Amino acid sequence: MSRKINFVILFLTFFLIIPATALCAGKGIKHLTSITRDTETGRLGLLGGVFFDENRNRLYVTDTTNKRILAFDVDMKFVSEFNAGGALEAPTFLVRNSKGQFFVAEPTKGNILFIDIRQKSVKPIDFSGVPKANIIYPGKMTLDSSDNLYIVDKANQRILIFDPDLRFDRQVLVKDGKGLSDVKVDSSGNIYALNTIGGSISVFDSRGNLLQTFGKKGKEKQEFDFPVSLAIHPKGVIYVVDQHKHKVLAFNKKGEFLLYFSELGWREGRLHYPSFICVNKAGRIFIVDRGNSRISVFE
Amino acid sequence: MVVVQRNIYRAFLLFACAFTGFISVTNSAYAKGTQVSAEKCLKCHPDLRQEMASRGAHAPFKRLECSSCHNPHTSNYEHLVKEQISKLCKNCHKGKKGVFGKKYGHSPFEEGACLKCHRPHSSKNRKLLLAAGGKLCFTCHAKKEILSKKYKHDPVKKGKCLTCHSPHTSDHERMLKRGLSQACVSCHSIKSKAAKASHSHYPVQDSKCTSCHNPHASSHSNLIKESSHKPFAERKCTQCHNSVRSRDPLGVKGEGMSVCVACHPSTKEDFRKVNTHVGQGVFCINCHSPHASDEAHMKKAKETRICTSCHRDTKEHLRDKKNKYKHPSVMEGKCSECHRPHGSNFRLLYPTDEIGACAECHKRHVSFTHPIGKDAIDPRSKGEITCVTCHNLMGSRHDFALRFDRKKELCIQCHKGY
Repeated sequence: MSRKINFVILFLTFFLIIPATALCAGKGIKHLTSITRDTETGRLGLLGGVFFDENRNRLYVTDTTNKRILAFDVDMKFVSEFNAGGALEAPTFLVRNSKGQFFVAEPTKGNILFIDIRQKSVKPIDFSGVPKANIIYPGKMTLDSSDNLYIVDKANQRILIFDPDLRFDRQVLVKDGKGLSDVKVDSSGNIYALNTIGGSISVFDSRGNLLQTFGKKGKEKQEFDFPVSLAIHPKGVIYVVDQHKHKVLAFNKKGEFLLYFSELGWREGRLHYPSFICVNKAGRIFIVDRGNSRISVFE
Repeated sequence: MVVVQRNIYRAFLLFACAFTGFISVTNSAYAKGTQVSAEKCLKCHPDLRQEMASRGAHAPFKRLECSSCHNPHTSNYEHLVKEQISKLCKNCHKGKKGVFGKKYGHSPFEEGACLKCHRPHSSKNRKLLLAAGGKLCFTCHAKKEILSKKYKHDPVKKGKCLTCHSPHTSDHERMLKRGLSQACVSCHSIKSKAAKASHSHYPVQDSKCTSCHNPHASSHSNLIKESSHKPFAERKCTQCHNSVRSRDPLGVKGEGMSVCVACHPSTKEDFRKVNTHVGQGVFCINCHSPHASDEAHMKKAKETRICTSCHRDTKEHLRDKKNKYKHPSVMEGKCSECHRPHGSNFRLLYPTDEIGACAECHKRHVSFTHPIGKDAIDPRSKGEITCVTCHNLMGSRHDFALRFDRKKELCIQCHKGY
């Protein structure tokens, strides 16, 4: 009898407890599904960004190589794809405002396309009002609750803010950061800027005053190696994708480490050079798993 | 009957535990505390007697305390030493004034390979060194590259590497004793008229001297690095910099990278890509030297050093000694043979898609290999199988830089039925 119990304990330890702990130290965060190539989507090329549209319950994914945006429903079933009448050249990151208009970053053109499907209009955002220091290379974007658009300008280490009418409003300089790579805004309007090379997150109020900086580079579980993207859950949890650790690290608003999940791998639930993260109000986490050419969904 | 059996079983278990405990306690105590007479050692190792008496003998060796480092009976380590060499040495050599605890470490020190530089028993050289001064350093560090040059820095000529460098750890890059600029000005004044004139009267006192001068040797006088940027060679400083009489003489003309693309316009387009190394300000100088360089394309250091200063995962791969198999370009430090350093529309800054990048050299292999490409699907990820699905070119412990052992693990990653 005792031998049986011992065997059961051993089995649980080696085959269930240890792998589960290693893969998902994040309590309660489980891999839900993955969006991969199939007969409907066809080949997936280099994946750029994802955006979850809460108003329409749609997940949008940019397929940079194939010059298209793919739409999926809330069950991650393919709905449709579009290329803005052939206007997309190399779409990377995208957001959609409450009016249903898209903003798509086009790095090869050096602009952000404003796409109004109803009006059938596609035009680049006007950067002429932006004080220039270096040539603008627009990167990742986000929207706040009032539809203000925030754009990462890597070459000038700043965040450009446009009002809902697409007029340049102001800029936030990320002075002490190094390698500005992503921006997100929380429900209070605070701006979170991710510094990849410096391995930190700078938090600003809506006027651009630095409130706090947290995170550092290192080998500990709460430290960054090469953080590339961040997302903020409405409840205040900040998720950061670390491309070289192949993990997602989570922090609270005070910058205190909470948990991490996933690890390097090819199978479902693992990540291989992830490049972007997005979280919806329901708490679903969408990760562009670039090395595996898929979108991994966690909950 | 069952009860008797259980009691026998318990008694046996108790005895086994007690015996194991006794053996381990006595063994460790014996191993640590054993003082064996050196005479016993010398009976079989008579050649050591002369060494023991030499002037440069290691103190415990001289005191005939062989067992302070060796276990006379058994050990898990070579030469019957009691512990790993790094730990063994540090038991006594703790490093005064934090000399071992600084930010940058010499790689043999970090690896605990003390014997790469020191002899354990005796040496004719100070500090039990294998060789004296520069001779020792040049066993690893580019002897030819340095000594073949016409002009040499005086301490280099004399083999006094430790004039500028610390051997174990340092607070400064490149194991320097002082910061880059301070290291030079401690001997070379830049306040003299001649020094000011040679720098065209620009206020260079806070600049990094090594951005133009090679601190070891060069084919050019004043140790100017091998290749010079044309405006620098022609002393046309104002082509890029403000006038020496301006408020900000070291400031550059034009905003950000525009100062560089004014003469290198095609480079601007290199950065209009999906994945780029765009950075802040004049980001070209993150990788290139604007004045002089010893590297091709005016790179400010060897490619590996530039790339791994940010890509630390690659640095770890390169340093991991278990990774015996690396791509030749990786070993030669030629990152840009496979990656486009400015920008690329493909993953990991490859010049083309993953298979195409490898096929540029491995033409034959791509034609007969395991199915790869758009119709070959990795059952694990549902993504396409490419060369890097099976190979990790940055370094692997398996043949052909495979991610898994091809004799047992590799194929069954996907082919589960076997």
